[in-house]
Amino acid sequence: MTELYQALAQGLLIGSTYGLLALGMGLVYGVSGVVNFSHGDFISLGMFMCLGLYSALSLDPYVSVIITVPVMTAIGALVYLFLIRPMVGHQFLMVVQLTLGLSLVLQNGILMVFGGQPARTPSIVESKLWILGDVVLRVPHVIAFVISFALAIGLYVMLRSTDFGRSIRAVHQNAHAAALMGIDVGRVQVLTFALGIGILALAAALLLPGTPIQPTQGLRYTVITLLVVVLGGMTNFVGIMLGGLIIGIAEAFGTIYLDGAIGLLMPYIIFVAIMLFRPQGLTWRSSK
Amino acid sequence: MLEIEGLTAGYGGIEVLRDINVRLGDGELVGLLGANNAGKTTMINSLSGTVKPMAGRILFQGEDITRLTPRQRVERGIVQVPEGRLVFPEMSIRENLLLGGINSRARPQRRQQMEKVLELFPRLGERLAQHAGSLSGGEQQMLAIGRGLMADAKVLMLDEPSLGLSPLFVQYIFEIIDKLHADGLTILLVEQNLNLTLRHAQRCYVLERGQVAVEGGADAVRNDPRTKSAYLGL
Amino acid sequence: MKQEFYDTLSSPILWGVLLLAALLPFALSSYYLHIVTLALVYVALASSWNIVGGMAGQVSLAHSLFIGIGAMLSSALLLKLGINMWLGLVISAVISGVLGAMIAWIDFRFQLGHLSFVLITLAFAEMGAIVVEGWEFLGGASGMLLPKDTGDFLAFQFGGGSGSFWVMLTLAAVCVLVNVAILNAPLGFYLRTIRDNEKAAQAIGVNVLRYKITAMVISAVLASVVGTAYVRYLTFADPYLLISPVITIEIVLFATVGGLGRAYGPALGALLLVPLGEVLRGKLGSALPGLHYFIYGVVVIAVILATPRGLLPLFERQWERWRRS
Repeated sequence: MTELYQALAQGLLIGSTYGLLALGMGLVYGVSGVVNFSHGDFISLGMFMCLGLYSALSLDPYVSVIITVPVMTAIGALVYLFLIRPMVGHQFLMVVQLTLGLSLVLQNGILMVFGGQPARTPSIVESKLWILGDVVLRVPHVIAFVISFALAIGLYVMLRSTDFGRSIRAVHQNAHAAALMGIDVGRVQVLTFALGIGILALAAALLLPGTPIQPTQGLRYTVITLLVVVLGGMTNFVGIMLGGLIIGIAEAFGTIYLDGAIGLLMPYIIFVAIMLFRPQGLTWRSSK
Repeated sequence: MLEIEGLTAGYGGIEVLRDINVRLGDGELVGLLGANNAGKTTMINSLSGTVKPMAGRILFQGEDITRLTPRQRVERGIVQVPEGRLVFPEMSIRENLLLGGINSRARPQRRQQMEKVLELFPRLGERLAQHAGSLSGGEQQMLAIGRGLMADAKVLMLDEPSLGLSPLFVQYIFEIIDKLHADGLTILLVEQNLNLTLRHAQRCYVLERGQVAVEGGADAVRNDPRTKSAYLGL
Repeated sequence: MKQEFYDTLSSPILWGVLLLAALLPFALSSYYLHIVTLALVYVALASSWNIVGGMAGQVSLAHSLFIGIGAMLSSALLLKLGINMWLGLVISAVISGVLGAMIAWIDFRFQLGHLSFVLITLAFAEMGAIVVEGWEFLGGASGMLLPKDTGDFLAFQFGGGSGSFWVMLTLAAVCVLVNVAILNAPLGFYLRTIRDNEKAAQAIGVNVLRYKITAMVISAVLASVVGTAYVRYLTFADPYLLISPVITIEIVLFATVGGLGRAYGPALGALLLVPLGEVLRGKLGSALPGLHYFIYGVVVIAVILATPRGLLPLFERQWERWRRS
């Protein structure tokens, strides 16, 4: 029983951050129809920037976000403006190849700067534990959970009740009509992409403590994020957060109860099943 | 108020409109008629700026707006109510209206503006929290017009407001259009329905294959043989 | 089959180029011969991918499975069960073909659409990598070392060097010619209609399922065979190279750079990029690991932005100009 609670708790905690990773991708897909296959490499970039800041200035990852979030947001805006925007409207399938190319550039750019050895970035809370009855929680996971949920709620409120949020939803629901309202659709797309990448910088810092990182990890993060987004129905906010928790729990159960390969396969099997039998995601209403 | 001089526009290098000259006086209700594919929607979209003109210019209150973005045009008060309504289906009526007033000129007084719009369409006020996608066609048309008015329009361009509505709703919508006109709003009414438009508009233009075939007052247009040929494609 | 195909087959240019290429081992040092051999491996792989990814417009990321089956399974059959690698090649190719048919069927049955197809094939590829890395029979995470290549043809050995080069040259030529053949056959026409508008193709009575399966099976079998030859050439069955989704990404990018859906496009992309990458890796690989991948990424982004139809049209224009003058 303890094991069950342990898996559940651990899965929920990590799953919340997966949800956050996926929200960025879902938002971008919603307003520009772009699926970014370099998503996971941007997570890597965020993590390695934290590592760099630790080596150079001995900054704790939680402090580094003050620098990494604005830098990554700016990078996101530039990438959209100069690489992705020229493709939108024509040659749309080529965005897949373009972001795959970008993935190679990011992954190997990181490799050239930091080398290929697995590295760790220490944090003051890294090895702290929080014991609740029989369940042992790692403090970094708890922090990740709290901040991820706070941020998700913040995003939700932003989408519901600010003009910028309503613009995002308007562009998603009907870009032509949004333009007729005087919404600058191109600007909303750039800002959303930048926001999505900025969120990744934060999520990267949350996932970092205690996790060994290496440049080649990007693709696996991309796949996990895709899993969550598809599970959540691509653009359904609540669905995506829920999807994050489910994948987090599936992963935790997989690694605790099933050995080796089968455990790792679990999330993919769920993913394929969902793609095939419920392409609209887990939620019953295909809400936009 | 709005002058279109020698406008040529289209998509992907293909000309849909050729050398269009159209003028809207201050406070006028002008009809733009034509059969399907005559270029009416291309015309209205070039005025909104979502279609880029290939030649000619558009003047609004004396200012050349040919190169302005859609947003800049909405900010100046040139507002389109698109064909097929295009309300935001997953948003409430209230959110749709707020989005109508999102441009920088309308935003400061959009609460007051919303009261005016809801006075005009009490039916919308009764169900502010309802999703726009669940409304009937007629209600969506009300919402689309209300959303356009939220932008504090100086010229309101309505694209096929009667399309797909029951006769009762068509009558209601045209009463609203007359009322807005009486209040001094400049209106460009794009319609396929000839007789309906001729009854309400002061002047009309008839488009045929991307060119103005006939223009003038209601009677002149009704009696012009070219009007019939424009519609029948003869 | 259209006349163009037979024209190509009987074209003196084709045979001249192949003959000249076949003489390369006598002109190149073993280092450069290695680079050209590698380039030919990727010419073959990118061309086989092109049948599905280019002609039918379905960006499959599952091709690492077929390459991986061809490489890892045939190696495992030889090392663990003592099965001759020629037979291993056939077994792997059959399994790859069946798997390809299954993927095409799933795609059709569930009407996946372009984006979902990319996602689901990526998931399959990741699953394949996890299975191989976790399964001792297929070498696990540490891979397998094949016996030394002594040039015993009956044991699927070509002696390395020039022998392996000729094998790769043959495979590359076959893959490119299969492309030419398909493009000049009804299949090529149907694949293009499926690419441009699958629903419309279905509406006018094109048997979409049949052509999707045919294309995927041809593509998968070719990739699998090349995979077997590649692992024999490398002598080391490295799961992180041969069944990693990254190898598919490389192939996709080569094909894109050269020109998608064209017979010679993917070959051109691989012939340009692989030598560039390998030379860079040789010169700077120890100081800057990953530089060649980095360059691939930069080149593909630049090509997509500058000329989305790839470099082939540019070369053709140049060739026309040169021929006229």
